[in-house]
Amino acid sequence: MTGMSRRTLVRALPALAVMPVAGTASAAVPDRVVRFGLTPVVVQENLQFFNAWRRYLEERIGRPLRFVQRRSYREIIQLLEAGEIDFAWICGYPFVRRRETDFLDLLAVPVFDGQPLYRSYVIVHRDSAVRGLAGLAGCSFAFSDPDSNSGYLAPRGMLQRMGHAPEQHFRLTFFTYNHAETVEAVADRFADGGAVDSYVWEYLARTRPELTGQTRVIEWSEPFGFPPLVARRGSEPALVARMRSALLDMSGAAEGRRLLKDLALDGFREGDAALYDGIRALAAWIGDKGGTP
Amino acid sequence: MKPLRPLSWSLSVKLPLTISAVVAGVAFMIGGVILLDARQRLRTELEDKVLAMATAVSVSTGDAVMRHDYWALYKSLKSMALRHGSATPIHSGALLGADGTVLAHLDPARHPPGLPLSGAREDERARLRAAVATGMPSVGEPAAAGVVESIVPIRAGDMVVGAVVLWISTTELDKRTWAATLTIISLTSALALAGSAVGAAISSRMVRPLRQLAKGMETVGRGDLGAVVPVMPGDRDEIGQLVERFNCMAVQLAEKQRLEQQLAVNEKLAALGRIAAGVAHEVNNPLGGMLNCVDTIKSHPQQPELLVQYFPLIDRGLNRIHAIVQALLVELKADAGRGAASDVRLEDVRDLIMAEIDGRDIVFTWDDRLGGDGSRSCPRVQQVALNLLKNAVQAMPDGGTLTFRAWVDDPWAVIEVEDTGVGIPADNLPRIFDPFFTSRQSGTGLGLWVTYRLVQSLDGAIAVDSVPGQGSLFRVTMPARPVMEEVCAA
Repeated sequence: MTGMSRRTLVRALPALAVMPVAGTASAAVPDRVVRFGLTPVVVQENLQFFNAWRRYLEERIGRPLRFVQRRSYREIIQLLEAGEIDFAWICGYPFVRRRETDFLDLLAVPVFDGQPLYRSYVIVHRDSAVRGLAGLAGCSFAFSDPDSNSGYLAPRGMLQRMGHAPEQHFRLTFFTYNHAETVEAVADRFADGGAVDSYVWEYLARTRPELTGQTRVIEWSEPFGFPPLVARRGSEPALVARMRSALLDMSGAAEGRRLLKDLALDGFREGDAALYDGIRALAAWIGDKGGTP
Repeated sequence: MKPLRPLSWSLSVKLPLTISAVVAGVAFMIGGVILLDARQRLRTELEDKVLAMATAVSVSTGDAVMRHDYWALYKSLKSMALRHGSATPIHSGALLGADGTVLAHLDPARHPPGLPLSGAREDERARLRAAVATGMPSVGEPAAAGVVESIVPIRAGDMVVGAVVLWISTTELDKRTWAATLTIISLTSALALAGSAVGAAISSRMVRPLRQLAKGMETVGRGDLGAVVPVMPGDRDEIGQLVERFNCMAVQLAEKQRLEQQLAVNEKLAALGRIAAGVAHEVNNPLGGMLNCVDTIKSHPQQPELLVQYFPLIDRGLNRIHAIVQALLVELKADAGRGAASDVRLEDVRDLIMAEIDGRDIVFTWDDRLGGDGSRSCPRVQQVALNLLKNAVQAMPDGGTLTFRAWVDDPWAVIEVEDTGVGIPADNLPRIFDPFFTSRQSGTGLGLWVTYRLVQSLDGAIAVDSVPGQGSLFRVTMPARPVMEEVCAA
């Protein structure tokens, strides 16, 4: 039944009406819209790109697809947990935390600059005299999301390693819930400094150079596993397999390469959970030191 | 520079100036009122707008204030500014906590979040405190001119947790007011110009008949009634009526003058007739006697004693005719021919009159002040004086006082002869200068007529003032120069 198209199903409906109840539930499943959660790990300003990517994926998985956007990472994780969405592009930090509950599977890992890695950038305004994260003591600082590695966990780790208590280092901190907006907050001088995903900053440097031009990267973290694409463990294995191959094959198809170019990625590859051991270790270390802002 | 004397300006200048001044004054006044009203309206609009904008921000930010979600607050402020920024230049804006700390400011570099609002003046702080305390929005112009300030409290539940402060620049307001001012000024100027043009047209229309009237009156004043151009009345108003009356008057005067001229011609013809009849009569009398004498002598050729007897009669008659013809021939030309007599002095006249009154009871006063050696005068003047004096002596058969006065009243020479004689009856006064008019049996009636002609030939005038029974005064006024020099010398 899984290969049945919508048209076929509609023609079958009169027959189903006289059938026993048991068959109806399984008949409806294949037609369910596949939901794909997006978080600000990827810049979502280019709606045309996401339409094109949606059509590309729909063709390959043979199912209608909807991208689901929420303001925070947490909301997307909750939707995954509740089974409202099947796939999501999340950050490595929630992945390592939530994987413990064993409901997320690694779907694919993006390849950025030849590697499935990225960093956390600490940025200040172009005209700021501050030279390093330590110099931002007593300043205001913009985090991206409390569930973000590059926008929250990594800069805290950097501070902690320098011997500064992240909670007391800054005069004021706030969350923008969006890497791009963190760049905007620093560019507007609303925040004296901010922590962003290196991939987002580089992407913006290409698409909105006037925005990133207002900012300057003063410090960067060690490389971490690139924010992964995950699948809810309860999803149909066949669907997951089709989605995975659709993603992994993108770099091999002209249309896929065009889409990857828009994403500023080289491609997607199969991931290994060990890629996120760095984040896991950092989270564990920070967790020992305790506290969230 | 010539001093400005507006009162002496022409009506055609004063009227349009006055009209344009009035039009401009009214227009500027109305323009000013409209401008003030427009400015007030724009101002109210701006205040309503800034209040609405601040209110829109305040109702959507209560939760974010409670969460201290600085970025969300900044984003809502910024997006509001971006939404309205093109239509309304937002000077600045801020979201403040109830304690006055900045939650978000449109100029974050100078007003970072989490710190007290820097640079706020005391009056501003007072308004903020009032807004937080009362929960009432306020809008107005702070001491720092150039902006309209609106403060709207932010509520979360029933608590005031902060305030939205928006400053909108009044530059746009000023710009629009200035644009309106320019429009009104140009409109007003156009109105004033149009008013001036209308004024000029009206006044020229009003003044033209007046000016023509003045010209017409001048012509009438000169007595040149034939040259009076009828003035076209513009309207049936007062000026039009005046013009019409003037035209009527001019026509009537011209008619009168024509009648007078006709009358004068008639009179001249009548006088000519009288002269002819007089001459015929005067000449006929001696002529009749002489013809009788000649007839008698012819019919008695053998009596030569008749010749001796009648010859004196014929001689007298011829002399009388000669005298009459002489008198009639008194003319300028005839006079000039007698230039040789110019060395006769006015004093000689006195002597002649002294001889004339010899033996009569007449007191004769002589007062000649014609100047220079004075007595030298033109024969015609002497003749005039002699005639008038003789006439006066004859008017005083019972004696009296005879006065001769002559003086120069530049440019005139005046001769007065006054007597205390019988005077001239009023009925006779108009006719005394007519030829052959006489009140005496022995007179030829040519003396005063000759005098009149002489005075005329001297370009002078003769006037008589007489009261019957008391005496007469003849006054001759003539140009002094010819009397004294040229004509006499000629």
